[in-house]
Amino acid sequence: MPKILVIVPFALDEAGVARRKNQLKAVKLDPQSEFHFRPVKAGPTSFMSPHDWTLMDLAIFEAGAEAQAEGFDAVCIDTMSDSGMAALRSVLDIPVVSPGRASMLFALTLGSKFSVLAQWPPAIVRYKKAIAEYGLAQHCASVRSFDIPPDFDALLEGKQESAFPRMLEVCMRCVEEDGADVICLGSTTMHQAAAWLAERLPVPLINPGPLTYKLVESLLALKLAHSRACYPRPQAPKLPMLHAMLDAAAALSPAMRPSVVAVSKPPPEK
Amino acid sequence: MSEENRRAREAQLQVVQLDPGIDFHFRPVRAAPANYTSEHDSVLADISIVDACKNAQAEGYDAVCIDTMSDSGLAAARSLLDIPVIAPGRASMLAALMLGERFSILIMWDRWRHLYRKTIAELDLGARCASIRSIGVAPDNQALLAGKEDKVFPLLLEAARACVEQDGAEVILLGSTTMHQAHGYLAERLAVPVINPGPLTYKLAEAALALGLKHSRKAFPKPLAPRVDLIDAMFKDLRP
Repeated sequence: MPKILVIVPFALDEAGVARRKNQLKAVKLDPQSEFHFRPVKAGPTSFMSPHDWTLMDLAIFEAGAEAQAEGFDAVCIDTMSDSGMAALRSVLDIPVVSPGRASMLFALTLGSKFSVLAQWPPAIVRYKKAIAEYGLAQHCASVRSFDIPPDFDALLEGKQESAFPRMLEVCMRCVEEDGADVICLGSTTMHQAAAWLAERLPVPLINPGPLTYKLVESLLALKLAHSRACYPRPQAPKLPMLHAMLDAAAALSPAMRPSVVAVSKPPPEK
Repeated sequence: MSEENRRAREAQLQVVQLDPGIDFHFRPVRAAPANYTSEHDSVLADISIVDACKNAQAEGYDAVCIDTMSDSGLAAARSLLDIPVIAPGRASMLAALMLGERFSILIMWDRWRHLYRKTIAELDLGARCASIRSIGVAPDNQALLAGKEDKVFPLLLEAARACVEQDGAEVILLGSTTMHQAHGYLAERLAVPVINPGPLTYKLAEAALALGLKHSRKAFPKPLAPRVDLIDAMFKDLRP
């Protein structure tokens, strides 16, 4: 039975991890597959600047670096930023799947132009950078935000009434004004809105986390993994150093609690 | 197509672990071009595949896979059907980019090149395609590679190695589902992933069903005046 490690990109406590794990319910999976969710030991508390991106790359890399030795058959990364994916692929032979590039490529199997729904304006720059890097700019109709600051712990919980209709309105602009054939949810943290939006949109909506679970099952069944020619192994791996770095960082900051994520909480509603 | 030759296609199911709750039915088209080497053939291929699947939804099917890298009939079938319709051409190039940055396509003969050029142009993936290499052996779309293993497999391996070592391919695509019998041989011997296009479509169909996803109606609008009857009439009394 395949054992799959899902790396949660923030140092969340149990309740926070459970909210991520709910993504499993959105898709029919092989009953034999076992998904284990593991948060990073330490990392950024926001995700909007190159400082945050670098920390997250490192944190995710560390969380999954031993996955193969631990007996996992594959790794999923629970962030559209694809943070840590390239580094993990360089040290692992098992499939490592992350939803950013994968959901854009998958979108192109369903239509010819996709839009990405971003959480808030500061998130947009990173999508633009990634889309250019992936060579998909011509296929991207737009990146639009619904302008509500993210909460990486509570996600959209309790915000259904305020957030969902705004998300829908922005998706409809992507379709009607920008010409999107497919909408990519810009973050796995938006998963609680996926079913609600999908029911109301005239185009397919990609829920990135569940997509990675099916892609991992597909790759395992097809006996495929990333190309070693694209992700060469390090000549001198320094994984013990990597682990020591993250252990030291974890000792400094406890698992993320609501008080710690306050920096990314929305302003009080008027 | 004879029952034996149809089974040579169906054998693609054996190389991949599939959901035991899913039934795959292999149906040959009612008439077809002799091969896929010119625009004459492409048009006939399109209509023959649309004919074969035009009623799939009404017949109770949950999804359709099209067994050709040319993606023949894909767009028209999607415009008619609300169930997922999957073909391996576009899909295997996009899947390759989930595993590496550059892919090469391994083909039997040069007469197939136009098929991939069209898809690569549509997807604007020219910069991602390291090469298309042919072994210069005329394909047999009925018996496939049966009986030609000793001659053809080493030629394919040699060409694939040239794709990797000389052209910079990080992923190899088999250029046709009719090459599936060579997949295991090549995958064992190459240092990069080799995509077997038919089995990929079976897993993508499973994924589409599990995720509740299908093609975008905006990209594949329904016809205002569908003439499924007309397509049916073209094939009904045809004796190819």
